[in-house]
Amino acid sequence: MIKKAVILAAGEGTRLKPFTENAPKAMIPVANKPVLEYVVNALVKSGIHNIVIVIGYKKESILEYFGDGNRFGAEIEYVTQKEQVGTAHALLQAEEYMGEDGFLVLPGDNIIDEKGIIPLIKEKHEMVLLVKKHSQPSKYGVVEIEEGVVKNIMEKPVEAKSNIVSTGIYKLDKKIWGILHDCAKKGIYDLTNVIQEAIGRGHILKAVENEGKWMDIVYPWDLIHVNAKILQEISYSTAGKIEENVVIKGKVCIGEDTVIRSGCYIVGPVVIGKNCEIGPNVCIFPSTSIGDNVTVNPFTEIKNSILMEGVSIGSNSLILSSVIGKGCFIGTHFSTISGGSILKIGDEYTEVENIGAFVGDGTVIKSNVVLRPATRIGVECEIEVGNVVGGDIRSRCKVV
Amino acid sequence: MCGIIGYVGFRNAREILLEGLKRLDYRGYDSAGVGLISDKLIVYKEVGEIKKLEEQVPAINTTAGIGHTRWATHGGVTKANAHPHTDCKKKIAVVHNGIIENFKELRDELISRGHKFTSDTDTEVVAHLVEEAYDGCLEKAVSSAIKRLKGSYALAFVSKDEPDKIVAARKESPLVIGVGDNEYFVASDIPAFLKYTNRVIYIEDGEKCVLSRKGVKIFDENDKEIEKDINIVDWSIEEAEKAGFPHYMLKEIYEQPRSIADSFRGRIYEKEPHVILNVDVEVPESITIVACGTSFYAGLAGKYMFEEIADIPTKTELSSEYRYLGRKDEAGLVIAISQSGETADTLAAVRGAKKYGCKVMAITNVVGSSLTRIADYTILTRCGPEIGVAATKTFTAQLLMLLMLALDMGLKKGTIEDARVEEYISHIKKLPSYIQYVLNRNEEIKRIAEEIKDKETVFFIGRGINYPLALEGALKLKEISYIHAEGFAAGELKHGPFALLTEETPVVAVVSRDKTYEKMLANIREVKARNSPVVAIADEEDMDVKSYVDEVIRYPATLPIISCIPIAVVLQLLAYHAANLRGCPIDKPRNLAKSVTVE
Repeated sequence: MIKKAVILAAGEGTRLKPFTENAPKAMIPVANKPVLEYVVNALVKSGIHNIVIVIGYKKESILEYFGDGNRFGAEIEYVTQKEQVGTAHALLQAEEYMGEDGFLVLPGDNIIDEKGIIPLIKEKHEMVLLVKKHSQPSKYGVVEIEEGVVKNIMEKPVEAKSNIVSTGIYKLDKKIWGILHDCAKKGIYDLTNVIQEAIGRGHILKAVENEGKWMDIVYPWDLIHVNAKILQEISYSTAGKIEENVVIKGKVCIGEDTVIRSGCYIVGPVVIGKNCEIGPNVCIFPSTSIGDNVTVNPFTEIKNSILMEGVSIGSNSLILSSVIGKGCFIGTHFSTISGGSILKIGDEYTEVENIGAFVGDGTVIKSNVVLRPATRIGVECEIEVGNVVGGDIRSRCKVV
Repeated sequence: MCGIIGYVGFRNAREILLEGLKRLDYRGYDSAGVGLISDKLIVYKEVGEIKKLEEQVPAINTTAGIGHTRWATHGGVTKANAHPHTDCKKKIAVVHNGIIENFKELRDELISRGHKFTSDTDTEVVAHLVEEAYDGCLEKAVSSAIKRLKGSYALAFVSKDEPDKIVAARKESPLVIGVGDNEYFVASDIPAFLKYTNRVIYIEDGEKCVLSRKGVKIFDENDKEIEKDINIVDWSIEEAEKAGFPHYMLKEIYEQPRSIADSFRGRIYEKEPHVILNVDVEVPESITIVACGTSFYAGLAGKYMFEEIADIPTKTELSSEYRYLGRKDEAGLVIAISQSGETADTLAAVRGAKKYGCKVMAITNVVGSSLTRIADYTILTRCGPEIGVAATKTFTAQLLMLLMLALDMGLKKGTIEDARVEEYISHIKKLPSYIQYVLNRNEEIKRIAEEIKDKETVFFIGRGINYPLALEGALKLKEISYIHAEGFAAGELKHGPFALLTEETPVVAVVSRDKTYEKMLANIREVKARNSPVVAIADEEDMDVKSYVDEVIRYPATLPIISCIPIAVVLQLLAYHAANLRGCPIDKPRNLAKSVTVE
């Protein structure tokens, strides 16, 4: 029986900038929990408690949050991948912890649940890949399967030969170590390529279809959709102080020491963290996550958005389909506009719809600022009074 | 957080339980207790460290029992409230980690049926519920009792009538079983028993387990017996506790965004210009702060806060001097600062002050510590246990508590306007982000630490509230890296210390753009004239300082008094990296102990 797992959480996630500037992709919060926590929870619920997390980029944020794992019912150990050269190289760092045993390998930056993992563990064959049907397979590793056995995995092919993609979640055994070492010598550092090599050498890799959740976050706007989906599953619970004349409808979760002041109107699913101050007279509409220590001032409306920890929003503001990074300080009469746009990320063009703004950690926005659809602002920027801003603003820039 | 442990086997249970509790003391240590079982049930409890409990428990030879170490977050540290708790007939004992949310209604219900309660805890209801359900089979009674509970728990029970059995249950609080040969352990965390076995079973929410010398049985929430895997743990105790960080000190530095948020949580609200400290203290005519070491430097910064915000004449004295020499002003308030609340010099100073009729306020991290018992008022820093010998997260929390107290007194005295208090509060609420801003510059600070690590002497200078920070920066560096470091008020350099400056003496200058700014830049120019390398710690918007110095480490622009907290984090990281690059034993510096309980 499988008892150990390796989670690969060393990667930076450059396409998710600005939110990965101060933390690895695995620590991005969705419904007020880092993505990695969903992975750890899924493993614990599947009966796997011995977890090794491969850390690298901005590793301290993972260490500080997860500690020894006790809080999550797991025993977590850490190995560091000094340079993020590839997923196979990352996995190799955990070799001595796995020893002779079979184990699971999972990416730390995809949300999953135990419904996917339990069948993977139960499958008798020792090398198994968890796969999933997908409507846009060519964005992922496309898997060709014959009679339950993986024949070929092709990363982001021009033409997808099937609609089945790899989740990057494997069950492997000690045979993989030798192959990993051989591949490393040849300069192959990517796990998909190593697996392809293993298949080439005649190893049998079975495929199991994922019956549970699997959500990938690639771009900042994916956060909005994934957050909305995960919020569907929260249950109603309130703590803190809710003043008179507050209307709460639907599934709403409010943390300790938070104050919801009079006249607020909150429609779930909405999650609000600890020690927040909301209102008076603030409207929060569905699919919104608000982290710990957030202040929202009077007459502001928030909908379909993520406000990370320590954000402060001025009065009379409108935040739609947007993500506001940790510790941002936003003045009064701030507006985001939700709409469509065509964006360039690296060499790729992507079309997005109904998207607001993305603001990196620690940015200060003075009063009466308007952000156009799909605006991306880096970390620690400063936007002066009265600006209308669009496009991309690099980190630590000042808009006067 | 609390820690629980249970043992049944062939060894002396007293030893195993006390040893285990010491391993769990990172989960709390304000009071502790054990329940040992043989032909009778014997319960011992004590307030204070586990060592104190150890002195109380006689060397009796039993081979089963349960234990608990407590870390109360809201008052109530008394012997009666310590665990284990027992039922009316003293037949059943229970230890608990978690919170029973519906304990008030359960308690009223149990009292109406004639049960006698001896503590104020939520846990005691569980003992009485089990008592009612008990008909000779502990697991059955536990199973029916926990159905009544709302909240979170890891529980362990023993009964006098079944002396070789422990029953445990879990919901939302950690619980693991250690599997030995003819002996079994149950605990909040593995280090509690790792010395004896590395084979563990993880208990999950809703599960119950029954431990005896013959084995362990596990049941699901429908009381159906289930099989669970035994896992092998292959790490050492020390590794486990540091959780991936190379040192406790670094772990605790990185905890600060969270610990500072815990310190102000529920105490301030932006829309309410007041501070909720729950201490009913009158505004004094004067304040004397007594403390040692890092706490003393927090006290020196506190002097600036009380004088600036509340216009109260304040002096800060070293405990070891004040106890013999300081003037005890009975109309004044004495504020004693000590992380552990056990610092012997500070306790002696406080006793001295009380003799003269002074009112004493304690600022400490440990509920129920000696200091809180002597003091008239207590403000807790709520940082959780600090293990690294060099104080980090408790220093920043002490600064914040002093500031919040100054705001409270300023408001009561009318020396500060509501609007100004609101401004302070909104900045205090940003502190986790301000600290994170500094942590995000860890690599940069490490690079600058490279430059000072091989120097024989480093100077720290500052003016105003930055002067105590310069002293603290120097103390951090010397205590862990063994580099000779001195802190000076920047204006004092020319009155002597200048003679020591050479090209090989780096000077770390803490700069704020307040009324000391121009003078500070002038002091830096004086230092540069002696060709000493200068590292400035300056706010992100200070563009002028760059041209005067060799390196700049940035902290976020905020109110000058608030900025002392992110600046403290810069100084901590600088000292940490210098010491680490020199290969020093950071968590255990030579000749030093965490809390100094001798005078």
